Amino acid sequence: MTSTSKAIAACALLIVAGIGMLSFWSEVRSEEDRAWVRHTYLAVEKLQAVRIDITQAETGQRAFMLSGQGRHLELFDAGVTQLRQDMNDLSELTADNSREREAIHRLDPLIAARLEELGDGIDTRRRSGLLAGVEMFTRANKREKLMDQIAAQIGAMRQTEDQLLSRRLDTAATSTRKIKVAIVCGNALAILILLAKGFVIHRETGKRNLAEQHLKCANERLERRTSELSETNIELESFAYSVAHDLRAPLRHIAGFSNVLVQDHSDQLDADGLRCLRKIEEGAHKMGSLVDDLLNLSKIGRQKLSIQNTSLDSLLGQVVADSAPERAGREVEWRIGDLSTADCDPGLMKQVFANLLSNAVKYTGKREHALIEVGQTTQHGERVIFVRDNGAGFEMQYVGKLFGVFQRLHKACDFEGTGVGLAIAQRIIRKHGGRIWAEAQLDRGATFSFTIGSPENHASAPLELPLPGEVLHVA
Amino acid sequence: MSHEVEILLVEDCPEDAELTIRALRRNKIANVIQVAEDGAEALDFLFCRGAHKDRTFSNLPKLVLLDLKLPKVGGMEVLQAIRADERTRTIPVVVLTSSKEERDLIDGYNLGVNAYAQKPVDFEQFNETVKHIGMFWILVNQAPPPRPFVVGAAPAA
Repeated sequence: MTSTSKAIAACALLIVAGIGMLSFWSEVRSEEDRAWVRHTYLAVEKLQAVRIDITQAETGQRAFMLSGQGRHLELFDAGVTQLRQDMNDLSELTADNSREREAIHRLDPLIAARLEELGDGIDTRRRSGLLAGVEMFTRANKREKLMDQIAAQIGAMRQTEDQLLSRRLDTAATSTRKIKVAIVCGNALAILILLAKGFVIHRETGKRNLAEQHLKCANERLERRTSELSETNIELESFAYSVAHDLRAPLRHIAGFSNVLVQDHSDQLDADGLRCLRKIEEGAHKMGSLVDDLLNLSKIGRQKLSIQNTSLDSLLGQVVADSAPERAGREVEWRIGDLSTADCDPGLMKQVFANLLSNAVKYTGKREHALIEVGQTTQHGERVIFVRDNGAGFEMQYVGKLFGVFQRLHKACDFEGTGVGLAIAQRIIRKHGGRIWAEAQLDRGATFSFTIGSPENHASAPLELPLPGEVLHVA
Repeated sequence: MSHEVEILLVEDCPEDAELTIRALRRNKIANVIQVAEDGAEALDFLFCRGAHKDRTFSNLPKLVLLDLKLPKVGGMEVLQAIRADERTRTIPVVVLTSSKEERDLIDGYNLGVNAYAQKPVDFEQFNETVKHIGMFWILVNQAPPPRPFVVGAAPAA
């Protein structure tokens, strides 16, 4: 996922979370709003109740005034008690509103005065009888005035509460509407963002598909090229093979017939003629070795590795024993360390040791006391096997040429050789996934070191491309 | 019997043929050597047909020296034909070739070759190789009894 796509996803997530929080908050808010509305309804109800209570007290008093019976006083008392109770409730319910508090302060004395008036009426009726009571009752002037004031006060309060109610209902409705709008808009926005994200993903998928297609094309090209290269390589290998093979026949004839001349017709040749013939034979012999080495090199290129856990010690023992004819009549001191085992192709690894030891034996040929050391060390955690000699060595500036085919750092008259041995050793080591290198000083000896690599690193590719410096110099 | 062919040399290259014959002669191994220049001629000779229709199967060579790269019919086909026919199956065949290809070696032994040698470039070595082959197969080796020979024809005990 790209950063754009991630940002879009984060936005959508934030918006959805925001909507969730808003919904929760709005629920809390509307609960509060509803509580206020309820509160206001209660206040209105209480105002109503106060009016009813007063009316009840009045009714009770009037009945007593007329009948003088005590049970009507009970109605009056109940009305008064209820009125006190309701007034208390009302003052609690309107405690939040200063205007209503003031209104109650104004209402309280009016009600008290009215109750006192009613109480006076009852007293008069008790003390002075029905007539006095009726007379007092008919002095309605004052009474009606009080009642009007009370009604006006309650009406005002009712109006205030009504206003409050309508305001609170409005508030509740507005906040509900706002929240609805916010939720709808938020959801719409989230959907838009998700659509955008879908678009981005679609575009990215398109891009990725395109990239994959490119990659596939590139892979196909690479495969085609690899197979072409592989074919070319096979052609080159078989070309090298058939050239080398076909060269052997005329060589054999040159060598063969020169030999026949020397053997069967030497009486017709003088010393110089015989020397020339021997040179021809030597030349053919040398070319034969070159051709054979070339064939070997091309064979190793095509050969598959057969990896086994191999005792390098016994391999080395065989190679040292096999090298006996090469060092016949010479004194060579061997210092051979413990090499233990390695996972490698035993036949090819033996060839590596054979080539390296053969070189060591060859280049110590002019030493009175030849010393050849074989051992192993660890470098940067990697096992390194080395073959060291005290022979002719070479100048390090030419080290790059050392492993090239037909590359030689010594004159043939000093040391014989075709210049293929180290190329073969390098090819084998590289096939194993290892490295080979050399360090030397002219006239102070040389050290050849190599790593075997691990079985996973073995070159599994079917083709072995020529490496730099490994180009076949057939010309 | 002195004219009996002892070695059939199947070799298309006259120089190689001459050098081989010289090496055999130098070591006094064989007197009568027949050279076939290609596989077809070798088969005509062995199966007494074509130019060799007057020959009989009782007069088979003691050894066939076979090159592999031959015109018309290749060395492997010649070997296959020799081993496929009961009349020629027992003739010792030694491949003497330039090829040291593993594939050729495996094919050769699979087809029942008796020995396989590479022609060395060096004539001394070539001489030695031919000498060893001739000495062993002509002088040391016991050739199979002459035809007709029927397996399992021995009288019951």
